Amino acid sequence: MRIFEGVEALDGLPVLHIRDLNALACSDLHLGYEGRMADRGAFLPKVNLRHIKDILRRANEKAHADVIIINGDVKNEFSTVHTDELNEFIELAGFLAKDLGISKIIVVKGNHDNFINRMTWREGIEVHEQEFLADGFLFFHGEKLPRSHAETMVMGHLHPAITVYDDVGAREKLRCFLSGSTAGGSRLVVLPAISYFAEGVSVNLEGVSGIAPIFKRHADIDKMKALCIGEGETLGFGSVGELKGIEN
Amino acid sequence: MIEYCTSPYSREESLDCLNPFIRKWFEGKYSELTPPQRYSFKLTKEGKNILITAPTGSGKTFSAFTGILSDLMDMSVEGKLEDKIYCVYVSPLRALNNDIYRNLSGPLEQIFSRIALPLKKVTVGIRTGDTPQKDRQRMLKKPPNILVTTPESLAIILNSPRFMENMMSLKYLIVDEIHELANNKRGVHLSLSVERLCDMVGRDFMRIGLGATLNPLDEAARFLVGHRDDGAERDCMIVDATWDKNMEFGVMCPVADIVNESDEKVENSIYKRINDVITENKTTLVFTNTRSGTERVVYNLVKRFKYGEESIAAHHGSLSREVRLGVEELLKKGKLRVAVSSTSLELGIDIGSIDNVIQIGSPKSVARAIQRFGRSGHSFKDTAKGEIIVTNRDDLVECSVMLDAAKKRHIDSFRVPRNALDVLAQHLVGMSQNKRWTVDEAYSLVRHAHPYHSLDKKDFMSLLEYLSGMFVGLESRRVYAKIWYDEKERAFGRRGKLTKLIYFMNIGTIPDEVAIDVMNRENKWIGSIEEEFLSRLKPGDVFALGGKIYRFEYAKVMKAYVSDAAGQVPTIPPWYSEQLPLTYELAVEIGKFREALSSAMQGRLKKSHAAKISKNTLMPDAKALGILDSMPIDKNAKSSIFHYFAEQLLFAKHVPNDRLVLVERSRDDERTLVIFHSLYGRRVNDALSRIFAITLGDESNSDVAVNVNDNGFILAVPLSKKLSGRDIDRMVRSALEADMEHTLKSNIRRTEMLRRRFRYNAARSFMILRNYKGKKISVRKQQINSQLIFKAAEEINPNFPIIKETYREIFEDVMDLPRAKGIMDGLKSGSIKYKVIETDVPSPFSHMLVTMGESDVIMMKDRRKHIRELRRQVLSRIRKGA
Repeated sequence: MRIFEGVEALDGLPVLHIRDLNALACSDLHLGYEGRMADRGAFLPKVNLRHIKDILRRANEKAHADVIIINGDVKNEFSTVHTDELNEFIELAGFLAKDLGISKIIVVKGNHDNFINRMTWREGIEVHEQEFLADGFLFFHGEKLPRSHAETMVMGHLHPAITVYDDVGAREKLRCFLSGSTAGGSRLVVLPAISYFAEGVSVNLEGVSGIAPIFKRHADIDKMKALCIGEGETLGFGSVGELKGIEN
Repeated sequence: MIEYCTSPYSREESLDCLNPFIRKWFEGKYSELTPPQRYSFKLTKEGKNILITAPTGSGKTFSAFTGILSDLMDMSVEGKLEDKIYCVYVSPLRALNNDIYRNLSGPLEQIFSRIALPLKKVTVGIRTGDTPQKDRQRMLKKPPNILVTTPESLAIILNSPRFMENMMSLKYLIVDEIHELANNKRGVHLSLSVERLCDMVGRDFMRIGLGATLNPLDEAARFLVGHRDDGAERDCMIVDATWDKNMEFGVMCPVADIVNESDEKVENSIYKRINDVITENKTTLVFTNTRSGTERVVYNLVKRFKYGEESIAAHHGSLSREVRLGVEELLKKGKLRVAVSSTSLELGIDIGSIDNVIQIGSPKSVARAIQRFGRSGHSFKDTAKGEIIVTNRDDLVECSVMLDAAKKRHIDSFRVPRNALDVLAQHLVGMSQNKRWTVDEAYSLVRHAHPYHSLDKKDFMSLLEYLSGMFVGLESRRVYAKIWYDEKERAFGRRGKLTKLIYFMNIGTIPDEVAIDVMNRENKWIGSIEEEFLSRLKPGDVFALGGKIYRFEYAKVMKAYVSDAAGQVPTIPPWYSEQLPLTYELAVEIGKFREALSSAMQGRLKKSHAAKISKNTLMPDAKALGILDSMPIDKNAKSSIFHYFAEQLLFAKHVPNDRLVLVERSRDDERTLVIFHSLYGRRVNDALSRIFAITLGDESNSDVAVNVNDNGFILAVPLSKKLSGRDIDRMVRSALEADMEHTLKSNIRRTEMLRRRFRYNAARSFMILRNYKGKKISVRKQQINSQLIFKAAEEINPNFPIIKETYREIFEDVMDLPRAKGIMDGLKSGSIKYKVIETDVPSPFSHMLVTMGESDVIMMKDRRKHIRELRRQVLSRIRKGA
């Protein structure tokens, strides 16, 4: 589904294809999540990395990109680098290079990505502290306001989703992209989380400005359109404001 | 072999079995033997395994202990009594354990105080979760001869090598309240502990089971004694003294016309009746079916009849331990006029003398009715007295048939959960801590326990694989593995320093209750509800909480957001998740009664009777009266039942029964309703309704709202989906062709029920711990994404043991899939008929279902279609709003 000229949400996947950069963009991987949970007594099956690899493979079968931009939260642990984070990132980087032919990995640091430099020594990986600007595109994670401006701004961090109820009361939570514009007139896209275990924040039910400060004054969440990830397709569900307004 | 004892031994024969000191004490205290004692003294002497069922006040506990005390006394006299444990007593209730401890210590004190000889005293000790560390230490040094404990503490003892040293001379095991254990995972857990104990002691010991009545008794006996190495069940003698206590009981219908009378009048009459009974007796015990019901009854009695705090009290599981103990104490002293309880007082705790039991609303099973009535009439020679006060029309029919069955001594059956893999996982971790096992040796031991006798070797192996961490890569097993397992050697054993602590800290089968915080729009906390209650709420539902009315808006992880809805009528009754399901046997009995009474009435009713029926003045003819008169029910009950049936017959021409499922197409303001009158109990209907809903959803391209109760279920689709009688007939026929298990699995995968059950099972299997590294892990944290965890496990291995167990539990313990299949087969073969009828408004027999069923939504099978349909609806609502 085309979001803006040159910016496409790949059908049914939480991944953008940006034509001019020949790049995939995704966000919020939270690698090492299961290992960290196991340390806390929840021995989850390890599926996150497998799931992310599968999504990116499907994405690049369509896009044939040679760059990937990871828009923050590659890892999960705030205070250190967990062994599992390191192992999984090395595996992912190898997979992207060898299996998908992606020559460059651009990482924008997210709030979970402290000490990430210990993981990214490999060739072909670029880490950007706060944000990454290229050809009119600005990638920033989103826990803080961006410093730069660009014609198109791409954000992560929020894990957007919507919760809707059908006519007989069934509840459904769907991950979604948010697309719209900022007060300054830039185009704005919020990426859904790619992590298996991130259920998402229901933007039509919960306040978001505490999590994502851009929605305090610089953009209106109600005017953002929710583009939901369905089964093999991405579907527009109206704007967040409209979704808030309907009688569920 | 399992045998029934039917001829009691004589008084002399029984007393001759006892040690002289014990005999003297016994004869000094009791003038005669109670019915169970006239079997048990002799059988204990002979060293037989025994299962004794009898009501309260039958001297049941002493029927088990006297013979054992006698033997220990003999040992003392012969100088053979050592500081070792000879008898273990297990009951599921700490309160009961405390009673037993007191009731043994007292007599032992008395007995030894009268003996001049310097005999070594028989000692008794108690060990439960409440026992302080220093008492446990003391017990290690000087173990009691009789140990009183709980299933969980017993499982811990099995992994305390020093404590086990004192168990090696064990001769007797008593399992009390067996009816509270044999039908659930806690009992399954105990059955494995007992077989492990037996294995560690290295020989059989005598087993005595005690309980209220349950059916079939031989299954309960098998649960108690288990199987030998050669696969044959161990021997057991069954003593059924349930019916040796006289019982008087009946159904009381509060008004002459319960169908049409106003709720207020019904309620007034109910409370008046309760008050009358209390006034006429010294102490009355009132049972409700739910905790909230208990609170309501106490509140009303106090308000209406000015009972003071000293004469009335509530007793239920949500009250603190101190409050409950206080109430029990007051009852024992005979100080209360009335106690009101949900389930907590139906167990064997000593509550003194009760004259009369009132049950409000259906207790849902014959066994439970008998057990509750049996709480009255303290000595076995007193008559137990009880009545059920019914609250609505279906309740009335149900209770009438129930007590009629009780009169005929027809008890509904229970089921032992089979091959529960989560419970087994716990024990395998415990066993691996004890020693190195070969796979075959451990498998054989596990199969000694009756609930695992048919365990598939493949499932056993899959547990070893899971516990040894084979579902993650080698590099992670250091953290994940709970046991060491060598596939080549086919052996397993201890692994990891933390595992023993994990076992001790996470043992047991009772899930942590999850409280959902209820918040208002300003994010202020209002109160909490149970998770199960939340899972039933959909936006717009109105419910009561803490005396105020709220409208449910939406839920977020562990919070429910609501708005004020003062003055509105709740759409969800507060007892929702607490309601017990009607047993299948009783449901079928009710179906037979419906058949008998309706055919007696059929053909005699005329349209012209309508006016009399609505005024409740039609007289039953002799044939109908004959049926009603044979039942233990009052005049109001007879008249109400007769008129209820007459209404249904005149309106719909058919009364559904156990061999006739009525399928009624009707409607309400917004929806087309397909009402299935299938009186088979909620557990069966839960499965049936899903199959039909899935089929209807497929054929009408719509999600289907479902309402289920014991008497049937309703499928609802938007009015825009037109359904003719012929469409429904086609839908029924195509549902009958469905592969039930497969269809249900794909449906259940996406339900809240699965999510919750999976989390409980994951906790019991030590996959998601409740306590780890000395920290308690909040349920809130466990809650995160249990559905995602389920899906993750499924991706790794669809037969992952915890997934398999979750489906098993849902199909066998929550629902009753085997019997639901039986009904479907009956419908297919024609041994059960179905008839499609069309009505403008729902027929009388469906009114309770329409207003009080449990609701759920069955989503379309095709997820892509489902999301598209959802989008269509959302966009159309947005357009409408604009």
